[in-house]
Amino acid sequence: MIGSAAALASRGALAQEPPKPASIVVNHSGGAMGSAMRKAFFNGFEKKYGIRVVETSPADFGKLRAMVESGNVEWDVTEIGGQDAIRATEMKLVEKIDDKIVDRSKYPEKARSPYVFASSVYTTIIGYRTDVFKGGTHPKSWADWWDVKKFPGARSMRDHPTDNLEFALLADGVTPDKIYPIDFDRAFKKLDQIKPHVNVWWATGQQPAQLLLDKEVVLATGWNGRFYDLIKKGGPVEIEWNQGALKQGSFVIPRGAKNAYWGQKMLAEMSVPQQQAIYATELGYPGLNLEALNYVDAKVKPYLPTQYIDKQFWIDDSWYAANGTKALELWNAWKLKKA
Amino acid sequence: MSSRTAGGLPPPLPSPVRRGRAGWGRAALPALPALVLLFAFFLFPVVRMLGFSIEDGSLDWYAKALGEELYLRVFWNTFEIALLVTVICLLVGYPLGFLIATTTPGWATLGFIFVLLPLWTSVLVRTYAWMVLLGRNGVFNRWLIEAGVIADPIPMLNNFTGVLIGMVHVLLPYMVLPVYGAVRRLDPALVAAAEGLGASSWSIFWRIYLPLTLPGIFAGATIVFVLSLGFFITPALLGGGKVMMLAVLIEQQIHQTLNWPFAAALSAVLLALTLGVYSLAQAFTRQEARP
Repeated sequence: MIGSAAALASRGALAQEPPKPASIVVNHSGGAMGSAMRKAFFNGFEKKYGIRVVETSPADFGKLRAMVESGNVEWDVTEIGGQDAIRATEMKLVEKIDDKIVDRSKYPEKARSPYVFASSVYTTIIGYRTDVFKGGTHPKSWADWWDVKKFPGARSMRDHPTDNLEFALLADGVTPDKIYPIDFDRAFKKLDQIKPHVNVWWATGQQPAQLLLDKEVVLATGWNGRFYDLIKKGGPVEIEWNQGALKQGSFVIPRGAKNAYWGQKMLAEMSVPQQQAIYATELGYPGLNLEALNYVDAKVKPYLPTQYIDKQFWIDDSWYAANGTKALELWNAWKLKKA
Repeated sequence: MSSRTAGGLPPPLPSPVRRGRAGWGRAALPALPALVLLFAFFLFPVVRMLGFSIEDGSLDWYAKALGEELYLRVFWNTFEIALLVTVICLLVGYPLGFLIATTTPGWATLGFIFVLLPLWTSVLVRTYAWMVLLGRNGVFNRWLIEAGVIADPIPMLNNFTGVLIGMVHVLLPYMVLPVYGAVRRLDPALVAAAEGLGASSWSIFWRIYLPLTLPGIFAGATIVFVLSLGFFITPALLGGGKVMMLAVLIEQQIHQTLNWPFAAALSAVLLALTLGVYSLAQAFTRQEARP
C-alpha cells in the first residue's frame, strides 16, 4: 500500500497522469445525498476530466472488506462510517490520501487524517413538531428530553447505542468532556427511564422526519440534514441544536482500487470550498474546508451544524472503534429486556 | 402427494417425489443446468459462508449463539412470531382457499386476483402501504375516530401487532394456494355421495374435506412458517425497532460488527431449525396422506 502511494506521489511529482479510464465508481449512501454530490462534485469532475462518474450505494463496510480481501475492488472512492473508517485503516483496507493532490490546508487540524478524507459534518439533534411545542416550549437539552412530565408526547430515538448512550449520560448530569470512556451501567440505567416513552426506535435516516411529519411521534432525534430537508419543504418541524452529537462524514479509497489516482482527484474536487458550499446548501451538511462558509447564503447558515459547534460535542470514533461491538451487544440485550 | 398440493404454483421447496432409481436418472438430466446453477450460486456460497463459523477450529461461536440468554431470546422471539403468523394465516387462508376452490369461476377469478396481486408487488411497497394504513394518524385510526368507534388511536403500528399484520399479509398467498389445490383435487363424487346419504354440511366438512385437504394445510403451514423464520424487512419497518428477529441480528453481525464467524453460526442454527421444521412437516404430511 505504501509502495503504491509512493508510486502515485512520484507520478504526481512528474506531472505524469495515469491514463484516463472511461469511468470511475464512487460509492455513497445514496438518496438525497447522491443527488447533492452529483450537483456539487460529480458534474464538475466529469466536465473537467472527461471521466464518467458511476454511482453506487449504500456505504457498506462488510462489502468493502470483502472487496479488498478478494482483490476485486469495484469502488474507486467510497463513503464509510466514522468508526468504520478507523477500523478500516487498522485493517489496512484503504489507501493513503495523497496530500499533493488533495489540498486540505484549510481544514481543521483534526480533520486531516492520513487515510480518511473528512467530507462533511453532521449532527444528531432534537427535531420537534412546532404545532405541539409552540414559542420555544420544546425540550432544549437531554435532561429536558428525559423529562416526560414537562414535555409529554411520543418520542423516537435511533436503534443504536451511538448517540443514545451519550445523550443518557448528558441527561444524567455528566459534562461533555467526561462522556468518554462511557459508563455503560450508568447510561443504560438512565435509558431505562426513557424506554417506555420511545414509540419508535428508528433504523434508517429518513424515518425521524417521516415520523414527525405523520405525527407518529412529536419528538425525534435525527440527523440535521433530514430535518433541514423537511423544514425547507415547509414541514411543521424545527431543530434544537443544543447538546447535539457531532460526527464527520468520511470517504476513503479502497486498497487496490483500480483507479486510485482518479479517486484522489475526486477527493480533491470534494475539497474545493465553492463546491462544498453547493453541497451544504443542498443538504445542510457543511464540508470541512473552513472557507466554504464564505460561499453559503445567509439564509442557509442557521441550519449548518458548524454554526453551533460550541454547544455540541464530538462523538469519539476511536472509542467506538475499540468498544463498538461491546456497546452494540449490550444495546441488543437492553432492548430485549422486558421493561 | 404433497408435490401437487401447491396447485398452479411451483412449490418453493423441493418436494419428495417418490420414484424408482431409473426414473430419478431420467428426471435429473433435464434438470442438470438448474442443478449446476444451484450448486454454483447457492450451495457453494452457503457452504463457504457456514465454513466461516468453524474457521478458528472451535465451536465457540455456536456456544455463544446457543449459550447466551440474549441470543436464545431472539431465537425464541423468532420462533414465536413465525408460529403466530402461521396460525393466523391458516385461520384466514383456509376458508379463503376453500371458498375460491368451490365458488363459481367468475368469483374464483376475482379471488385469485386479490390473492395473487399482492404477491407480485414488492414487499417493501406493501410494507410502506401498511405504514400509511396503520399509523396513529393513519387511515384506519382516522376512520374509526370519525365513526366514533374509538376516542384515542389504537396502536397498530411500530409494535408486535404491526409486524403480525404485515407478515400475514405477505405470506397469506402461500397458505391459500396449497389449500386451493388440495380442495380442487378432491373427488366431487365423494361429496355428492355424502350428500346423497344425508350427511350434514358440517360432517361433510369434518369427515371429507378436512382430512383430505390436510396435506395442503401442512404444505401451506410449512412454507409460511419457514419463510417467517427468515423475515427481515417487515419486522424492521413495522415493528418500530421493538421486535427483534434473527435475520435482523444476523444483518447486524455482518454489516456493523463485521463478525462474520458469528453471523455464520447464527445462520447455521437458523438453517438447521428450518430444515428441522421442514422434515418434521414432511413426516406428518406423508403420514396423513396415507389412505
